[in-house]
Formats: sequence, structure tokens, C-alpha cells
Amino acid sequence: MAQIRVGKPDVAPDTPSHIKGVRQGNQKGSHKHQVGHNEDDTADARRSTGVRPGKENPIMPIMPNLSPS
Amino acid sequence: MAIEQQERVTPKPGQLVEMSWDPITRIIGNLGIYTKIDFENQRVVECHSTSSLFRGYSVFMKGKDPRDAGFITSRICGICGDNHTTCSVYAQNMAYGIKTPKLAEWIMNLGEAAEYMFDHTLFQDNLVFVDFCEAMVKGTNPSVLSRAETTDAPNAAIHGKRTIADIMRAFNPFEGDIYKEALVVSRVTREMFCLMEGRHVHPSTVYPGGVGTMPSPTVFTDYLSRLMSVIDFVKKAVALNDDVFDFFYEALPGYEEVGRRRVLLGCWGAFQDPEVVDYRYETMNEWGKAMYVTPGIVVDGELITTNLVDINLGIRILLGSSYYDDWVNEKPFVTHDPLGNPVDMRHPWNQTTLPAPQKRDFEGNYSWVMSPRWLDPRTGEHLPLDTGGGAFARLYTTALAGLVDTPYVKSTGSSVQIHLPKGNSLPETTLEWRIPQWSNALERNRARVYFVAYAAAMAVYFIERALDRVRGGDTKVFQDFDVPEQAIGVGFHEAVRGVLSHHLVIEKGKIANYHPYPPTPWNGSPRDRFGTPGPYEDAVQDMPIFEENGPENFKGVDIMRAVRSFDPCLPCGVHMYLGKGRTLRKMHSPMFGGGHD
Repeated sequence: MAQIRVGKPDVAPDTPSHIKGVRQGNQKGSHKHQVGHNEDDTADARRSTGVRPGKENPIMPIMPNLSPS
Repeated sequence: MAIEQQERVTPKPGQLVEMSWDPITRIIGNLGIYTKIDFENQRVVECHSTSSLFRGYSVFMKGKDPRDAGFITSRICGICGDNHTTCSVYAQNMAYGIKTPKLAEWIMNLGEAAEYMFDHTLFQDNLVFVDFCEAMVKGTNPSVLSRAETTDAPNAAIHGKRTIADIMRAFNPFEGDIYKEALVVSRVTREMFCLMEGRHVHPSTVYPGGVGTMPSPTVFTDYLSRLMSVIDFVKKAVALNDDVFDFFYEALPGYEEVGRRRVLLGCWGAFQDPEVVDYRYETMNEWGKAMYVTPGIVVDGELITTNLVDINLGIRILLGSSYYDDWVNEKPFVTHDPLGNPVDMRHPWNQTTLPAPQKRDFEGNYSWVMSPRWLDPRTGEHLPLDTGGGAFARLYTTALAGLVDTPYVKSTGSSVQIHLPKGNSLPETTLEWRIPQWSNALERNRARVYFVAYAAAMAVYFIERALDRVRGGDTKVFQDFDVPEQAIGVGFHEAVRGVLSHHLVIEKGKIANYHPYPPTPWNGSPRDRFGTPGPYEDAVQDMPIFEENGPENFKGVDIMRAVRSFDPCLPCGVHMYLGKGRTLRKMHSPMFGGGHD
């Protein structure tokens, strides 16, 4: 440590970070909780809505599935 | 605004007059330039650059969750914070072993391209040109202004300004039309940035593993329509800049010596190629070379290396004139890199920051900035690399390396060709930036506007690639990952004003060591322990003075042009020591404008 006078820290350095027991969004395997996101990196209408998503998908297979945000 | 005090001092022997600008920056200022000027011979004899600000990021990052690093380090800067986020994300990607989804890489590239356009435009047209505008030139070199009144602008057909003086008037702060237009452009480019990275200047949607931007077609078309609305401004800006800088060479013979130093440039590369980058240290040379701005080190006009591993291992943080204790007796964090190469104790991975506040002493320690140097493996010299304000080094290395080859930007080995699409009023245009003869103030400034064009052209390319993926149905922008217990990482990126590296060491899942090295510590570094001056000092020392004012009403515009050409950003009073037994102290917030004084 440097030879300078400093005060006593009153906060843990990692206070704003992760709390034990809370699921982490970046954790491996989180992908499967994201409905509508497919294995092949595409997504379908289920991502945007839970109400009859099948009806919102494109009508032809050559069309990309671009669900609204 | 300005407080002036006058006090009597005993006259100094000889004709040397001390002149100092502290702060010299126009945004926030902790950068001071202290010079001794020989007015008889119109030369700067000695120069010291000093910073009065201790940041301490490397101190308080310790013990934090590494995933927070991008959000915290973003706060280092209020204008290029996103460069820090991006660089931190690159470092974390390496540490966590992430290969980012391709679409996320294009989105980050698009965000960074908008940032370069925004920041360079704002700095060039609203801050640099204050030193070249009619009001300033009238006060410092009236003969140059009268000549400008009668000199036709060669590119008048593009920008519509008949004479050079007309251009200078358009740069007048708060009044000139280019000044005002630039403000609008910097607003539009910031909107482009926000579309991609969520918020300016501290991005909310950029994190390790990818981005949180929803890749809908609208996001990209909104970006593209804004880009097309400013593309003609970019073409005009290049023409305006060329006219003004060429005129300065012509009107003031010898002006190439202003801010001139040896060609010692560093560029750490920008814009990852998603097809190549995997963020592994072992393959860093390959994905470094695939970047759309080639990393590299240029010494005396020769490209020494484009290997990021060599660049990384050669970085040394020296002390010598800085307010820190040496850390050689602290424990090293990384003794060998993942390839087995030894890592020096003075490398940022092993650095421990030990602040030791003390009085400023130009014979001893005088700055909070350390002295980053690059160890040249050929000669064993510790080179004080500069970034030339960012754009200059980026264009220089990219031009020499000859690796960038896209439909919009092409490197030829001696120049960079930039193709800009048709805009509202101007046709399709090809610009070419050629490697100039010198590394001086005017060329650094000229490169900046060319890099705006470079970023705009690359952005068009990135949009096309990103939309290709979206049309193919790929909407994946995030990759899951786990934070390892132990890891090291390094991110290499280009902040707007030059090289940016983040070195990260993780132990027990927390940050054990974190050292961001932004461009200004390289440029504004003080003398190192070998006595080598930093780039600002080097560029200003022995520089000729062209200002027509004597010591009484000296503005120091040539020195300011030299230092400001580096785009200094150390986060301000001005101390001016004048001869003849008079010390004039000025303390003010350095905003030029209004009264034109």
C-alpha cells in the first residue's frame, strides 16, 4: 500500500455486484430460459408474445423471422 | 471567467521568458504546459507538461466484481466513456473465454464508428478551429488574415466558401456557420451512437458476452438514414480542412515545424472483424490484424509491428517525474503470458499504483501522469510513442500495413482510400489520405477530419454486413458465460484520441489488478527515468513561434495549436510568467468565444 494516510473504508468494494442465490443473467445455461430464442441463433415470435405466437411467424420459410422488439 | 493578478518579480537574466498555460484544454483541465520562450529567436526552449489530477481507478477497482468493470471504467471520461466500456468488454471477453455473437460485434463497431464521427467532429470544428478561426488569427497573425482575404479557396466548389478568410469566419465560435453546423452533426452522430449502444456516453447495452441492443431492421435503417444526412457534411469538412491547412503551410513558411516531432506512433486497432475475432490471447495476432483499423507501431515512418502480442509485451510503465512510489518490490500478478512469454514487472498487468503526493518540482517530480513507453526490441530503447491525436496514428498504421480492404475503405500501403456514397447534395466521393512528410500539428489536425470520413465509410460497410445477418434470420446478440475464479485479460482498442488498453487480472472471481491506459498518459507523459521527455514536451520543445505579438500580449497560439493537435483530454488557472519584472497570473475556465478575446 502507498505511504499515504487514508480513512477507514466504510463500504465493501463489491457492494453493487452479485448477491448469492440470485440467478445471474450471464450464467451458462441461461439461454434455455429465454423462450423464443432457438438453438440455431434465430428467434421466433414467441420471444415477443405469449399469445398465439405461431400465428405471428412468417408465412413462408424463406422469410427471416424478425420478431418485433 | 478570468481573474488576473499582477505581482512584481525580479527580472531574469537573458531573454528567456517563462510562459505557461495551465490548463490548456478547453473541456476540463488538469493539463498544464510550462514553457520557457526565447522571444529574441522566436523559439520555445523548454517545455514541461504536468497534470494535477490523480484518478485512482487502478486503486479502487481492486476487489470489485469484474463484470462491473465496463460500467465503472466508462466514467473515466465524459466524452469517450464508451471506448472504455468497449475496451473493458474486450478484456473481459478474453478473461471469460467468450466469443461474441457476430451481430453483436457489428453493433459495437457501428456504435464506435458513430462515436469517432461525433467526437472528432466536435473536437475539430468546435474546439481545434477556435485556434484557426478569423477572430483568433486577427489577434495573433493579422498579416496572415489579410493574405487569407485575397486567397481563393481551391475547394470552393465543394464547400461554397470563396476565400480562406471566408472559411476562417465560418469557424468563429458561436457565430460561424460551420461551427453551428458541426454542433448539429455531433448531435445526429450521438443519436446514431445511442441507437447502437443505448446511451451516450456511458453505454447501457454493451457488456461482456455481447450487447443488449434489439437487432430489429429499424435500428439499422434509423442509423443509416442519420448517417446519410451527415455524409455531405463530412465531404465538405475534408475539403475545408485541406484548404485551411494547405494555406497555413503557404502563408507561414516553416509552419511544418510547429508541434513537429519524430514519427513515433502507436495504434492499438479498432473495429473487430466478427468472422475472425475469438478474443483468445493465443490468436491475438491474427484477430488483431483482421481489425478494420490495423494496430501497429511506427518508428521514423517504418512499421515495426502489427502484432498485438508484441505490442502488449513491450508496454512499460516508467516513473521518473511522477508522484508515485515504485512498485518493483510488490508482488507480480502475471509472470508469464498465456503463450509463455515473460511479462515484465513494469508491465500494466504487474503494476501496483502507490500514490505519493508531493510538491510540484520541475527538476524532480511534477506530474500525476506516469510515463508509458514501448520497449523497442530492436534497440532496447523505451520509446515515447504518441497517438497523433488518434486519427493520425490510426491512418498511418492502417496505410502502411495494407491489410484493410473493404469496398468502402482500402489501404494501399502508402495511403488510405475512402469511398463515401452519394449524399443529398454532393455526389459519390473518393478521398485519399496520403502519409505526410511530417508528424506535426497541422497533419494531426488534418488526419482527424479524414478519420471522420473513414468512420463514416466503415459504418456503411458495417450496416450492410449487419443487415445481411438480420435478413438471414440471425438475431443472436448475447452469449452466456461464467466468471472464472482466476483469469487474465487484455483489451486493445482505440479511444477517439488514440491508443487504449485495459489490463485485467481476476483472482477468486474478483478483480485483483486493473489498469486502463488511455491515450493521454502516453501523449502527456512527463520525463521518464531516462530523461526522455513525453510527446507534448518533445513536440513543443525547440519549436519556432510564428505569432506576431510580443511578450506583452502573447497568446501562445502556436504552442496551443501544437498541444491541442494531440486532442489532450486530461481533466483548470492559466499562469503566464512574463519578462520585464512582471508576473501575470490568469486563472480562468478556458472558454474562448463571446468577446473574441
